[in-house]
Amino acid sequence: MRRAQRYYPIIPVLVAYAMLLGYGLLFPGKWQLVAQLAFYCTLGQAFNLFMGMTGYVDFGYVAFIGIGTYGMAISIYYLYDKGLGLFIVVIGFILAAIFSTLLSLAVGAVALRLRGAYFAIATIGVNEGFRYLIEGARIWNGADGIIFSLHLKKAVGRETMMVLSTFWADVLVFTVAIAAAVLTLVFMRNKVGYALMALRMDEDAAKVMGINVTKYKIIAFITSATLAGLLGAAAWALKLTYIYPVDAFAIHYTVEAIIIVLLGGAGTLMGPIVGGLIYGVAKYFLAIVLPGFQLLIFAPIIITIIVIFPEGTVGILKKRVMGTALQKYII
Amino acid sequence: MLRVEKLESGYGPMQVLWGPDIEVKAGTITSLLGPNGAGKSTLLWTILGSVKTRQGRVLYKEEDVTHMQPHRKVDLGLAMVPEGKHLFKEMTVYENLVMGAYRRDAMARKEENLEMVYSMFPILAERQKQVAGSLSGGQQQMVTIGRALMTNPTLIMMDEPSQGLAPKLVMEIFETIEKMKREVGLTILLVEQNAAASLDAADYVYVMHEGSIKAEGTPEKIKASDDIKEAYLGL
Repeated sequence: MRRAQRYYPIIPVLVAYAMLLGYGLLFPGKWQLVAQLAFYCTLGQAFNLFMGMTGYVDFGYVAFIGIGTYGMAISIYYLYDKGLGLFIVVIGFILAAIFSTLLSLAVGAVALRLRGAYFAIATIGVNEGFRYLIEGARIWNGADGIIFSLHLKKAVGRETMMVLSTFWADVLVFTVAIAAAVLTLVFMRNKVGYALMALRMDEDAAKVMGINVTKYKIIAFITSATLAGLLGAAAWALKLTYIYPVDAFAIHYTVEAIIIVLLGGAGTLMGPIVGGLIYGVAKYFLAIVLPGFQLLIFAPIIITIIVIFPEGTVGILKKRVMGTALQKYII
Repeated sequence: MLRVEKLESGYGPMQVLWGPDIEVKAGTITSLLGPNGAGKSTLLWTILGSVKTRQGRVLYKEEDVTHMQPHRKVDLGLAMVPEGKHLFKEMTVYENLVMGAYRRDAMARKEENLEMVYSMFPILAERQKQVAGSLSGGQQQMVTIGRALMTNPTLIMMDEPSQGLAPKLVMEIFETIEKMKREVGLTILLVEQNAAASLDAADYVYVMHEGSIKAEGTPEKIKASDDIKEAYLGL
């Protein structure tokens, strides 16, 4: 019983995602908004697993989403005529996971030797470098990208393709979000979480406690990156059915991930949902009211929030419910 | 218990250690003295394995542990109290101490070690639910020492434990260190800038300068040598 109680905080997470999904199903006109919000929540949830838990900021995060997108694109583009049907989507997800895991291993092995700001600086170059590599070396069609809508249509048929990219892609994004949340909670409730918490607060102290800090940093980094790869495969590849390196490695997605995590509360379980919803809804309405000015308005808001509430929305909430019956559910 | 042979290490192009030889005998307090920048802290981090060894060997309990990873050494009973108060500031005193018992062997002895720490620092028992970052400087230092004791060590390396503390607290810290040797039976390798207090507590002394050992001997011998005191210790 007590063991089960430790996992209660997953309940509000599931309820929140179920409500968001339910809203989209009830109001088909709002499905695009729901899909957008789900993307932001998932982005935050996956990014938080590394940034929130280790305190390291990875400015090259979008590269993992991009490479995952390519994983799916390549599967569909090259295997569409092999008679595999929907199975190419499964292969796409597997490729997305493998690509993002490998890239994160390569990046992590180098960059995770650096600490704090040096790590952040080192990672800034990753996505730019990777984009130029793909464009310059003309890997996977280079700057022309991969346009695979026809391939997908041939592989699974027109009807299936429509449902896949307008409905199931978004549902799969929700799945990635829930997977990320569950993994976050499992980490938090096990040795790995204590190790990460310790190294976030003081890496030298963690080291002399006998914590293998490198190992745990790499675990968090790879997990977070692999989830990003799956997110890219679902939210970008399956949904759009094309990919250009310019979009796949656009740094502003990394910035959005950071904003969402900070708004919601770094290192909290509910934070990315709250952050993703606030950010997504605000961006949606700002785009209607003041198109083109979103970033200009967001910048001062975010600076204010970070200065006044560094622990984020859920961070504050967590303090408020301490000692009440809600304590079990909000972390 | 611990022997360092011709150890060389450094950071990037800058070599810091130029082959010091050190021996720490079981059940003693061995003191490492020397001015700022002598490489004392680097020596400790190299022994732990956080700074990579380039040349030379580290032997611990007759075993070559030169290239062993730090967390494995903690398993073997090598503990370290790093310089400056490296606390988990947002955790409570109790949580900080329990973090010390992170490794499996230490966790098995958590209760007894916790009791030992509380008997050594009764104030920590009173404050166990307080957030560590809100403690006074002296109490924070007690937490870092207590946390190192929770790792269930046989040898404990302490880097400037009296740094930044009021004179009265400095005395208390040194009393604690002697108590750790006498009552708990620990072996201690102590790095200090406070030469006077350190010479009183130590069984054996090494004087380090520019990455190598310039003098060694019993505290009496070091105290008797005006040259050493003047050149390296500022006494």
